[in-house]
Amino acid sequence: MTTTTTPIYVDEESAPRQNGGAPHRRRAYSRTRVGPLTYVAMTLISLIFVLPLVWMLLTTFKTESDARSIPIRIMPSEWTLRAYKLIFADAANPVYLWLVNSFAVSVLHMLLVLVVASTAAYALSRMRFVGRNVLFGVLIATLFVPGFIFFMPNYLTMSTLGWLDSYWALVVPGAANAFGVFFLRQFFLAIPRELEESALIDGANSWTIFTRIVLPLSKPALVTLAVLSFLGAWNDFVWPVFVLFSPDKMTLAPGLATLQGAYTTDYPVVMAGAAMAAIPVLILYVVVQRYVIEGVANSGLKG
Amino acid sequence: MKSPDSVRLGRRTVLGAAGAAAAGLSLAACGGSKGPGQAGAAATGKGGADGYDGPDVQLTYWNGLTGGDGPVMKKLVQKFMDANPKVKVTTTSIAWADLFQKLPAAVQSGKAPDICLMHTADIATNAARRVIQPIDDVVKGLNLTAADYADAVWKSAHYQDKQYAIPLDIHPAGLYYNKKVLTQVGADPTKPPTTKDEFMAVLDKCKSKGVKGYWVSALSVGGLIAQSMIFQNGGYMISDDGAKTGFGDQQAIDSISFFKSLIDGGYSPANAAGDGDWVSFSNNKSAFMIVGPWMVTPCKQAKGLEWGCAPIPVLGSDQQTWAGSHCFTLPRQVSQDKNKADAARFFVNWMSQHSVGWAEAGMVPARKSVRESAEFAQYTEVKQFEKMIDWAHFPPNVPGMSDTDPEWNKAVSLAMTGKQPVAEALQAAAEKGNKILEANKKKYG
Amino acid sequence: MAGTMGRPTLRHYRPITPYLFVAPFVVLLLTFLVFPAIFGVWISLHNWDFMLPGKPWVGLQNYIDLFDSASVIFHPFWNGMKNTFLFVLISVPFLVSIPLLLSLLLNKKFPGRTFFRAIIFTPFVLGVAVVGVLFGYLFDPEVGLVNGLLSGLGIGKIAWLTSQPQAWITILITTIWWTIGFNAVIFLAGLQSLPEQLYEAAELDGAGRWGKFRHITIPGLRNVFIFVLTTTILASANLFGQPYLLTHGGPGDSTTTAIMAMTNEGLRGFRMGTAAAMSYLLALVLALVSIANFLLMRERK
Repeated sequence: MTTTTTPIYVDEESAPRQNGGAPHRRRAYSRTRVGPLTYVAMTLISLIFVLPLVWMLLTTFKTESDARSIPIRIMPSEWTLRAYKLIFADAANPVYLWLVNSFAVSVLHMLLVLVVASTAAYALSRMRFVGRNVLFGVLIATLFVPGFIFFMPNYLTMSTLGWLDSYWALVVPGAANAFGVFFLRQFFLAIPRELEESALIDGANSWTIFTRIVLPLSKPALVTLAVLSFLGAWNDFVWPVFVLFSPDKMTLAPGLATLQGAYTTDYPVVMAGAAMAAIPVLILYVVVQRYVIEGVANSGLKG
Repeated sequence: MKSPDSVRLGRRTVLGAAGAAAAGLSLAACGGSKGPGQAGAAATGKGGADGYDGPDVQLTYWNGLTGGDGPVMKKLVQKFMDANPKVKVTTTSIAWADLFQKLPAAVQSGKAPDICLMHTADIATNAARRVIQPIDDVVKGLNLTAADYADAVWKSAHYQDKQYAIPLDIHPAGLYYNKKVLTQVGADPTKPPTTKDEFMAVLDKCKSKGVKGYWVSALSVGGLIAQSMIFQNGGYMISDDGAKTGFGDQQAIDSISFFKSLIDGGYSPANAAGDGDWVSFSNNKSAFMIVGPWMVTPCKQAKGLEWGCAPIPVLGSDQQTWAGSHCFTLPRQVSQDKNKADAARFFVNWMSQHSVGWAEAGMVPARKSVRESAEFAQYTEVKQFEKMIDWAHFPPNVPGMSDTDPEWNKAVSLAMTGKQPVAEALQAAAEKGNKILEANKKKYG
Repeated sequence: MAGTMGRPTLRHYRPITPYLFVAPFVVLLLTFLVFPAIFGVWISLHNWDFMLPGKPWVGLQNYIDLFDSASVIFHPFWNGMKNTFLFVLISVPFLVSIPLLLSLLLNKKFPGRTFFRAIIFTPFVLGVAVVGVLFGYLFDPEVGLVNGLLSGLGIGKIAWLTSQPQAWITILITTIWWTIGFNAVIFLAGLQSLPEQLYEAAELDGAGRWGKFRHITIPGLRNVFIFVLTTTILASANLFGQPYLLTHGGPGDSTTTAIMAMTNEGLRGFRMGTAAAMSYLLALVLALVSIANFLLMRERK
């Protein structure tokens, strides 16, 4: 099976027209007709995925005794905002601060990744320079090395730089990731050179070409990488759990572990914290799910 | 940008030096930290005896009280703030295991809390690793002496002849007895057992009536229960010089064998859960529970439970019992803000003087004057534990002591479940434990 | 990597330009990937406590200790390895086969297909923390929804988090719910990249549904399958969040994974040298597994 260098779209609707001709379906869909059984199956499966989230949300509006009642109470006996009030008022577990921190860290990380990966990817896709192959080799090597061997040394680096318990530790180290570079490079390679060459003739330099031509044409890929990086930082758990310690520096993911430890069986509060961590990304997901899914699908095909 | 260990710079690889130096130099402006430095911030000032009269100040206070005692501590801190509006204290409760992971990192980054609560058993490790600082001056400034406290707990606040903590409470292991069950089996509910014979006599009565009188769990007996008996027989867990463990000594073997015999003899079910003693006790299914005073409040709140508490029965030969103590320590600071330092010392002193409120969490206040006060007398159950003040056996302050715990717990579990003969399991643990202590001695000096 | 340059282009940049472009990334790469990889080995050759001034050289002792049954670290390390590989064995079959089936289901063209695809992928954007605390509540033996539904069916309470093998089952179910969408999407992309012509040709030759599946779909998915298998094995080997939040490594240490053992040793036991040695050994084992996996699955030409 050949790996193509054109981005592969998962939806027929978004597939680019080939050579300017009429779009012809090249995707292999099963030809058999879809019976009601499929719908039943899909609906059941969807319910399995949706119900726990609904349960989580419902629990946030229950009183503690409702959430802990035996036998199970599905609906709250009284709807209350107690859980939300608690997580916004608890100074030892300031979930509202965690929300802000998560946003800040995720946005900063996303921006850093976009800048760093796009510039490197552009050079690797268009330019020749000594050491290019070495860099390539190192990048590929990092894809095979599991992340945990960097854990201890990077922790010490954080300690030395004074970055423990700060945004820096969450934003910067993770940006040293080969995935973004490869992802964008693959996209850049597919951009026809004619556009750049005509700009060259007009006297543009690399930076202008990069910013005025290549980047604008790469919006889908950039958005995808942006979303994936944002999600990666938002959901990062293991590293922040060890690198952060002050309650007001926490982000939502490690914060949830702390919240669970502090409120143990007061489930509405724990679920409210989880809701705070889930709702922003769910909203983002609804808006950009195509990019996320296609980005993930892409990575699989490239491999 | 000085790293805490300058020797490291010379050993770095060229690549490492290039990368890290570049990153460090260019980004040093953003939150670089010098670490706590060699001199540390020596505690200065009068030690907080006279009260605090500086400008408004904010203190951070860490403790590991994520359980039922957390709210009690919070109330105490609130009382302090009400009485002293110039000092604002933010309390953060982090589960103990996480707290001891994060505290050194915080100290290293110059973001250590101003006050940290810990157990006296934790002092040695944290002192040896320069996480907390000596507070002899504070003690002098407060005019505190050993006479204000019980001997054993005062000593336990020292490491290498320097004092690192001010004890807040003592929590020794004692006996809880279920009055309903005792009556049910024909024992006297007003006379809890004080010796091994009396203890076994009641258990026999329970057995004859089909009641499992005292639930023993392989998962929890190795803690304060078995250790109390070891101390009562003159044994030890860690030797005073930190050179060897007493895991394989006769006292340990006798202790574990005794508790195993309770299972074999039908006085306890086999495979009880770790908290089986509490669950059975509070459900009126067993007669006894041996644990610290922190269960006083849960017992009070348990519905339908008629209970009492008393000093631990002497299952061995001496009046001894396992004890722990919460104490205030001052973590090392990078740069000591004088006002904060003064306020922190004042806080520790005030909390110690007003520690009677801490008895609400079931703890025995460590300070003599508080224990002798009329206010404390109303905590009749906790006063039972106070009777054991002179029985309290604290471990010696050896850094890295808790590294031997997993070996001990594993051996106890194997022995109690019959998977290995008691002596064999415990002696294997002793060997491993001794190796750990040896390695630690080399590491900590 | 082939054919990136194509025909010779006019060099339109000064020699230094490429270096300027890659510089930001390279700085990060060196600092946080290359340097640590080497520094980590250095740490593993010492007794390293970052709070103590002295970090004595011990050579390969940390590695030797990992294989010395009398050493302190032997049990935590091998217990962690055992638990990790147990989880890989029990989880990977589910995490690869269920998504494959789902992708076959989704590969049919029917209205709402995109919607369903989005639904099954949703859990993956939530992150392990949300999923962990949510399932901790669902599987709470006293008040959780799962036991509640079971008792409604007349089945007794199951101790999901405090006994084995229930604890592993809980972690497994949580992981399946959380991640099958991810693999399904990748399989789906693989399925949809198979050229229609092949199927048409097969039909002309009289192949039925099963025949088409066996001779076109399966071989066509081979590379994607290897990719999914490898990444799933690696992801399962990195198990940390689910046991951390659901069972806290228990009961006992039966769900303490290799990564948990490593962080316990390095950041709670303050023995970073040993922890670093553990990480390199685990990485070596995973590398061997990946290579073996790749060799076994390679197409024989």
